[in-house]
Amino acid sequence: MAVKPQVSIIALVDVIGALSSRSLLDGNLVMIDDGSFASRAQGTPELCTIVQPGQVVQWTALAVDLQTPVEIKNIEFLRLQPAGQPAYPAPAPMGHPSAALPPTGPPSPAAAPYATGPGAYPPGPSGPAGVLAAPTTESEKLDLEIWAGVVPYYMAPGVAYRYRMEFQMYEGPYSVLYVETPSLMRI
Amino acid sequence: MPQQLAIIVLVDIANALEMKTLEGNTYLFDNMKLHGSEGEGTGELVTAIHGSYWRDGSQATEQVLNWLPYSLGSIPPTVPRGYEAERARQTDRQALTELESMVAKPGSQGTPEATLTQIQQTIGTRVKTTKRTRGPAGQKVLDVTGNVISYDGAAAHSYPPPVITDVYGEAVDKKIMYPAEYGSPDMVTDGWYWSATVDSTRPGTYTYTMAIQLHRLLLQGGDWMWEPVDLTCDSKLRITSEPKRNAFTKSGLGLLPIPPA
Repeated sequence: MAVKPQVSIIALVDVIGALSSRSLLDGNLVMIDDGSFASRAQGTPELCTIVQPGQVVQWTALAVDLQTPVEIKNIEFLRLQPAGQPAYPAPAPMGHPSAALPPTGPPSPAAAPYATGPGAYPPGPSGPAGVLAAPTTESEKLDLEIWAGVVPYYMAPGVAYRYRMEFQMYEGPYSVLYVETPSLMRI
Repeated sequence: MPQQLAIIVLVDIANALEMKTLEGNTYLFDNMKLHGSEGEGTGELVTAIHGSYWRDGSQATEQVLNWLPYSLGSIPPTVPRGYEAERARQTDRQALTELESMVAKPGSQGTPEATLTQIQQTIGTRVKTTKRTRGPAGQKVLDVTGNVISYDGAAAHSYPPPVITDVYGEAVDKKIMYPAEYGSPDMVTDGWYWSATVDSTRPGTYTYTMAIQLHRLLLQGGDWMWEPVDLTCDSKLRITSEPKRNAFTKSGLGLLPIPPA
């Protein structure tokens, strides 16, 4: 079978379920891809998409209830750790990942630390899924973003490169949820 | 973008019928306040629609609109479909039982006149259906709590929910949106709803008009019937359009930002 030039990853979000329980776990997020190889954990937030260098990977967020809003706020690949340390570090306590977004809105006070106080779930920045601090006003432009990129050649085969995927669901202090469980793996 | 847009048209039916206009008696809402819709909860809603286009200028996303008429002064739309007919049958059966007991035990429940008045109350007021009036068939006048009432021409009663019968005007004439009425399994919309797709490539503010049919109780030839009353209500769409962009590079397609191992 010829290898497809593009792999689509669909993140299907039960927005009402996720916002109600402030979690993308418990079936509120389902991830599926159409890759050419045997991707693992299809239909779960632990999706490991098997890719080949040169392929284009494109992420799309869809809502289970079509009248609920969900957009991908950010996708950030986590840094692999040297041997002897936890495989993945906690997210940096400072430096909001969306700080790199273009200045489409007024400067946001939300270029702020991850939520670690009341309302953050799980408490502290080390969990695999949680709530981020108040979103930026750029949320209304997220529908313009295309989350796609080419798989680089320097990826080590057989290593799961995990990424944090953040979802924006409407706006407000609890509107951004993320998971750090999905990954890409070079065949 | 994939999210569907709902536009709620909430009508104060009694006042609209009395004033013979929807102006000031309609409250519009949509679920896109996030995208900049204005006038939520008023009759002056401007629905914000974010369009987008590819580098070659072609349309990248399509917006879907759904209109839902809600009513102030009706029994809730969530009651089962045959509720009115079921209430009518139930009160008929009850009246028959009362009549039976009156015949079987005359005098046991007061004078025959009082008993008959009671039975009349139980029966309520049936609304006549004609071929011309498309209104709810085979029903009786209910109050907003769903009980059959004996209507004297003045009592508060529930109205049939408003019905959107057309969507037209500038936005349709200029081919900004393509509305149509669709069959639906959703009882809240009584099995029908208006929906449209929007051409989001032509920014601007466009008005459109909804034709809305209400019903008022009318005494004709000794019978009460629901007479349709056709009114209109205007609203606006404000369309903006911006280019799609790659989220990682902020320009074209590039390598995924994966830190080296």
